[in-house]
Amino acid sequence: MSVPADQPDDELTIPRAAMNKMIKEILPNVRVANEARELILNCCTEFIHLLSSEANEICNQQQKKTINAEHILKSLDTLGFGDYRAEAEAVLKDCKAMAAKKRRKSTRLENLGIPEEELLRQQQELFAKARQEQMLMQQQEWQMVQAQAAAAQQQQQEQQTIDDDEDYS
Amino acid sequence: MAGGEWSHNGVGEDGAVEEEERGSGLRLPLARVKRIMKCDPDLNLASQDAVYLVARATELFVESLVQESYQYTVHSRKKTVSRRDVDNSIEAIEALAFLEGALE
Repeated sequence: MSVPADQPDDELTIPRAAMNKMIKEILPNVRVANEARELILNCCTEFIHLLSSEANEICNQQQKKTINAEHILKSLDTLGFGDYRAEAEAVLKDCKAMAAKKRRKSTRLENLGIPEEELLRQQQELFAKARQEQMLMQQQEWQMVQAQAAAAQQQQQEQQTIDDDEDYS
Repeated sequence: MAGGEWSHNGVGEDGAVEEEERGSGLRLPLARVKRIMKCDPDLNLASQDAVYLVARATELFVESLVQESYQYTVHSRKKTVSRRDVDNSIEAIEALAFLEGALE
């Protein structure tokens, strides 16, 4: 689904395909006129603006710099969409879980509060350990290679014997 | 940048990333919702959570509006939900008063 780069910002809407999919889910097997879809699409844009503006005001009133979830939830209440609140909040749990997962992945080390010398020490330890493991692995590999070479040689000798035998038939 | 402002997704933010960004069963692409919000120059930055909520609330809004409109369709014994049905819903529901005159 391509994003219309040519769609000027003030004519921005939800993608039609997403809208159509939603309508189909809500009213399966019901025909919906294109004009009706268009209207609903535009209503969505208005709704987003309404909700955002209201939240923005609440945010300013609280003298905060960033609109947060609570501002949005409060806006739903004041705008008369309080019955959306419960379902909307449910989304937050998923959102939090995803965000927490991302945080764990990327900032684990930065957030541990371990002083640099300690980190350095840990790093040296890890390197030493890695070197050891690598040596061990190389040893094992070498042994395997030797074993394979020996087996190959063995096979070759046997083949040689068989070939020799065949010559005599 | 944890849970911070308008989150960045690097190159092609509104393109390929839209699909991934949906997450948690949302049907509306977050990047698009965010862009629509940003049309308002006075709007403060919004957290990721806030954008999620706006997206989800919008979905619920569509659900309500569509179902309400359908009531009119059934009432008029037609088979297709028309623009008139949606208009009627807007007029009938107080919370939707903001839509009157805001469109067209």
